[in-house]
Amino acid sequence: MKFDLVVIGAGPAGISAAIKARKNGAHVLIVDENPVAGGKLLGQLYEVPDKGWWIGQRIAEKLVDQATSIGVQFLQETEAWGIFPGWKVVLENSETIDTSYVLIATGAAEKALPIPGWTKPGVIAIGAAQVLTNYHRVKPGKRVAIIGVDPLSLSIAQELQLAGVEVVGIYLPPINPFSQEKADPHYLLTNLAKMSHLAPNQLLKTAGKMLHNPFVKKLAAKWYPANGLKIGNIPLYLRKRVMEIGGETEVDHIRVAPINRNGGTVLDDSIPVEVDCVCLSGGLYPLSELAGSVGCKMVTIKELGGTIPLYSPEMETTQSGLFVAGNITGIEGAKVAMAQGNLAATAISSRLGLLENPSSALEQAISEVEKERKNAILTFMPQVEEGREKVTTMWKTT
Amino acid sequence: MNDMIICRCEDVTLGELISHIENGSQTVKSLKLQTRAGMGICQGRTCRVLVEQVMTYYADESNIISSSVGTNFPIRPIRLAELAQNGKGDP
Ligand SMILES: Cc1cc2nc3c(=O)[nH]c(=O)nc-3n(C[C@H](O)[C@H](O)[C@H](O)COP(=O)(O)OP(=O)(O)OC[C@H]3O[C@@H](n4cnc5c(N)ncnc54)[C@H](O)[C@@H]3O)c2cc1C
Ligand code: FES
Repeated sequence: MKFDLVVIGAGPAGISAAIKARKNGAHVLIVDENPVAGGKLLGQLYEVPDKGWWIGQRIAEKLVDQATSIGVQFLQETEAWGIFPGWKVVLENSETIDTSYVLIATGAAEKALPIPGWTKPGVIAIGAAQVLTNYHRVKPGKRVAIIGVDPLSLSIAQELQLAGVEVVGIYLPPINPFSQEKADPHYLLTNLAKMSHLAPNQLLKTAGKMLHNPFVKKLAAKWYPANGLKIGNIPLYLRKRVMEIGGETEVDHIRVAPINRNGGTVLDDSIPVEVDCVCLSGGLYPLSELAGSVGCKMVTIKELGGTIPLYSPEMETTQSGLFVAGNITGIEGAKVAMAQGNLAATAISSRLGLLENPSSALEQAISEVEKERKNAILTFMPQVEEGREKVTTMWKTT
Repeated sequence: MNDMIICRCEDVTLGELISHIENGSQTVKSLKLQTRAGMGICQGRTCRVLVEQVMTYYADESNIISSSVGTNFPIRPIRLAELAQNGKGDP
């Protein structure tokens, strides 16, 4: 049978799109590689100021229930490994699915952050710590160090602490080809302030407030206390770098060196700190290989987190009939992903001739995305708006 | 730092990548073919970005011909039997 729409990826973007398109009357199939639908939503758990708890797992369950009740079909534990013109989506069991439209909503992946010793057992990615703690309810360790300062790691530090894990501190990585600005205390101070204006937790809020003052910001990099600031109960060490992760057969310590006022590392003063788990936070990048290999025009936009398929205001790629939504278009929070999913599904429904008043529906869907972006509680990329403008300009000139 | 593993699947160290660059590798593709970095079970999911970073960091900029590699189908590891079966159809 031929579907009207095949969605690849059952995260917030993909499921929202499927619901919207199905409600408009389209026949929709979602393909997702995980045993449970929900994508990155499944690991999210934090308190939003004045709004209560954001429990990603519940939100995912609700979306899936709604989708199945109106007849969206789900294929879980199935990878899509190729898309061919026509359109045909090829699955790992070699089944080929025919469809008029495809929505690629494959989300984002974590960047690795190599540090000497990073391949030892006990070193995990920060996203894995989030899923272990919030979804599987398993503590990743008893005494945990976090390396890499960004909105995700600051927020997950708090989540780990809530679960009863001792977080010994959040540190900078050493200067090397991979850490780049993540090793620069000045850059971090400037950007933390921008990233945390409506932060979901106390940690980020305090950091943000402190740094809104430009005078403080300028001085902060130089005068930020060498032994860290406790935000919540967790020390944020903007003047310490982890030079090495040590341990014979598994992690048992990290070697921490102070950063001097010029940003250099003072190796002679390094000391070991005992830990049994290290979480690395290297940032996120859009997972866009599927779009790249089917010939969509790809563009690299730093402000959005990496290489993305160029897309129109209606979320269509340069391959007619192939749409994108969610983190594949740039790193943002779950609510923006849902709004983008709605927009793509509205555009697809309009092409299918299912809408009575397509132009007003599209207009509304576009403004929803903008609204969610403005109200976002977690901003991953400080210059996301500029990144989106670049996309608009590039699209006009293709 | 040079003995730090960059490609975990194929056990390729930073030092090996640097020495190939010093010996004249100008593209990420040639690094990949010489060291197998990116050709392991995860197909570069973990190390691809890292190898690109090594290239731009250590190579003389005027010497780099290309600092990235393209993507091809299949984008995920699949069983050969599936590929063979698929070849009979016409996707
Ligand atoms: C580690 C991590 C933590 C995050 N934490 C937060 C947070 O706390 N709060 C927040 O607002 N945002 C967070 N985000 C951002 C998050 O990505 C968005 O909130 C949102 O989940 C993006 O939705 P999406 O639908 O675009 O992608 P995702 O939620 O990532 O869903 C994509 C789905 O597609 C599947 N998929 C990918 N490729 C294929 C394929 N080839 N075949 C089949 N299935 C495939 C994936 O496995 C996944 O299930 C986090 C992101 C990451 C990576
Ligand atoms: S880490 Fe290099 S191929 Fe997997």
